[in-house]
Amino acid sequence: MEIILTLKEDITVPVELDALLPEKIDNMDVEEIKNIKIPQGRTTVKVGELFDVEIRESDTPKMTIKNSSIKLKRVGEGMTTGEIVIEGDVGMHVGAEMKGGRIVVNGNADNWAGRGMKGGELVIKGNAGNYVGSAYRGGYWGMSGGTIVIEGNAGHEIGEYMTGGKIHIKGNVGYFAGIHAKGGLIVIDGDVPGRLGAEMIKGAIVVNGKVSEILPSFKYKGIVENPVIKIKKKDEGTKIEGVYHMFAGDYVNNKPKGQLYISVDRNPHLG
Amino acid sequence: MEYIIKNGIVFDPLNRIDGEKMDICIKDGVIVESVSKDAKEIDASGCVVMPGGIDSHTHIAGPKVNTGRLMRPEDSYRDIYYKKGLKPGTGFSIPSTYKTGYQYCEMGYTTVIEAAMPPLKAKHVHDEFVDTPQIDKGALTLFGNNWIVMKYLKEKEYELCAAYVAWVLRNVKGFAIKIVNPAGTEAWGWGKNVHGLDDPAPYFGITGREIVRGLCKVNEMLGLPHSIHVHPNDLGHPGNWRTTIETMGCVKNMEPKPKYGNRETVYYNTHVQFHSYGGTSWKDFVSKGVEIAEYVNKVDHVMIDVGQITLDETTTMTADGPMEYDLHMSTGNKWANCDVELETGSGVVPFYYSPKGPVYSVQWAIGLEIFLNTDPSKVILATDHPNGGPFTRFPRIIAWLMSKKYRDYWLNEKVHKWARTRSSVGDNDKEYTMYEIAQITRANQAKVLGLSPERGHLGVGAIADIAIYEIAPEEKDPKIIERAFRYTKYTFKRGEIVVKDGNIVKEIFGDTIYVDVKIDETLEKEMMKDLEEVFKKNYTVQIENYKVSDHLANSWKVIQIDSSEIT
Ligand SMILES: [Zn+2]
Repeated sequence: MEIILTLKEDITVPVELDALLPEKIDNMDVEEIKNIKIPQGRTTVKVGELFDVEIRESDTPKMTIKNSSIKLKRVGEGMTTGEIVIEGDVGMHVGAEMKGGRIVVNGNADNWAGRGMKGGELVIKGNAGNYVGSAYRGGYWGMSGGTIVIEGNAGHEIGEYMTGGKIHIKGNVGYFAGIHAKGGLIVIDGDVPGRLGAEMIKGAIVVNGKVSEILPSFKYKGIVENPVIKIKKKDEGTKIEGVYHMFAGDYVNNKPKGQLYISVDRNPHLG
Repeated sequence: MEYIIKNGIVFDPLNRIDGEKMDICIKDGVIVESVSKDAKEIDASGCVVMPGGIDSHTHIAGPKVNTGRLMRPEDSYRDIYYKKGLKPGTGFSIPSTYKTGYQYCEMGYTTVIEAAMPPLKAKHVHDEFVDTPQIDKGALTLFGNNWIVMKYLKEKEYELCAAYVAWVLRNVKGFAIKIVNPAGTEAWGWGKNVHGLDDPAPYFGITGREIVRGLCKVNEMLGLPHSIHVHPNDLGHPGNWRTTIETMGCVKNMEPKPKYGNRETVYYNTHVQFHSYGGTSWKDFVSKGVEIAEYVNKVDHVMIDVGQITLDETTTMTADGPMEYDLHMSTGNKWANCDVELETGSGVVPFYYSPKGPVYSVQWAIGLEIFLNTDPSKVILATDHPNGGPFTRFPRIIAWLMSKKYRDYWLNEKVHKWARTRSSVGDNDKEYTMYEIAQITRANQAKVLGLSPERGHLGVGAIADIAIYEIAPEEKDPKIIERAFRYTKYTFKRGEIVVKDGNIVKEIFGDTIYVDVKIDETLEKEMMKDLEEVFKKNYTVQIENYKVSDHLANSWKVIQIDSSEIT
């Protein structure tokens, strides 16, 4: 079954949509879905008050949000299966703690996209905010599995406390990418201003763009060609094409195993 | 208001009542012989009736609890308390003040003692007490690493030390003497720790043994209601059980001389689970819970609380600064630490006791081993909230103690096998009776704190703090036990119904209990000369700003003691 939610008009007070997972509403009829209560600010509203609801045939549980807004928060939070397609922008925590399934955002996403993600796939065609695949405030449970792809740019502190999974940013990122990482792989095609991998213990970060400087607590290991990046002992490894400066760190920690691969072409000033 | 609680099965160890069906009469907030016909009848048939619970060691207010709250937003949104008509609150292991009061009260607890108040930060503690409803409160006051105490004890000026302790307790509205890692927290100010009872503190050259013995002597000279309350050296270090027994033993010849209450012991060892470790490292780490229990059973001068591990994610906090630094270094978790000028220090580190962790599973087993092997009149249920786990897990601990089957289920299905192989908890068939549960959750606390004249029992004249649990005395189903002890059928606070069917129905604000000891004027003047000097030279505050003023409580309950014979 596919359910299509069309936002009737622009909203100013944010709405939380974690109650509307495709797997949860798969067997409901239109009226039932319209009556689901969702929080808006400090009050509660019914889905039907904000959205036009339509149902179509589909083999898999699917949800499409049309006319979407950055005020729609927690879309797909905790989903385990099915698909969500978002036409427009989406608010904070899209795909947070998702365990399976696929979310595609045909627009921009606000902070904490894929926060604490455990599995599945999150694709954002536009830009993403801060803390992609990170832990929430104060916590230390970053992304542990699954894949996040951001076609545009992402903000600061992506992959914070990441322990597994993969983040691919096709554009640029902000400061502190991979901070506190304990595993996983981050690939950045664009530029990085600095403080890459601060306090990372494990995991790998690949940058194909320009990195203005590397933290002094990383050790230079030399130049590698077409590296196979292994993060766990039994890992088959991920092949990366290109020539990279390799750094290990972050040596503010005891016995760190973090790896940085920085494009030689774009960063002749390093190494 | 008059009430009569009818047909309940009463467990009141201080009056040796063991499961008797009897009526309890309440008038004007206290328990009375009989009531008039107008009394409201409460049907307690099918229920267990006990005095209100007492937590003699918990961390619920003050700067380090607040630091824990500030540094752990993730704990805050893990548990949200939101009930109509009540103040909302948050926090699983470090709940906000209102939530703390409500949740203790839901469990039938009516008096709790904050276990570590730095004198200089007392205003903060009392400020949070004001906002902690439903329960009466008191604060153990830190003295074990205090410069003035160390100086007086070093010079064997016990009378002056007693006068100083009395002055502090009166001025900061403290309840008793707390000692944490004696000489060790001071050493931490120099980047060091002590590693046993006879290691001297830097500069002062005084050892933990001298501090414990000295303050024990001072405590009995003053005749304080509670004994010294001690967190010994070497907390959490494999092999520390010897230090623990040595520390307990170092005051065995002292006489209890309380001028208030009925305490028979001179030494209270808190969270003894953390101090009962055998082996030389985490690799050969084993339980010495039985050895500790056997020692406690053998002597008359010691009372212990367990500090049971509940295998939760929680927030550790203690005035044992160096120990928290070790914990931060071993886990890599975030860490806060503080030095409180001349008085004490502290640290805070979040911690996850995973049931899958071998060491944590043994810690869990050690606590239970101590419960199962110690005379139930000498052991107290506490988690050192939130250090071993949050106080809201007390009902689960009660279920572990009352049901061997439930314990075995955890032992075989939930925790790491080390718990079986490195402790004797699996071989122990003891199941706590309802009477023994009443001993370890209220009666023992009341007695050792010196509060038994009016608390922890249901005799005539006692404050009508009463918990009614919907459970049969011989119930063995862990789910029913846990549920019954988590939410009372009724909680009475000072003769008023404050919880009904697990819901707070009335918000009331309790007393703050403190001790005011009268000291000989000449002695006090002599001590003040030294003290004024210290303030002028070393403190960042003036002596006049130090005092906790009278408005910092909803109501004060003062225990007045005359020790003017000390000269
Ligand atoms: Zn404690």
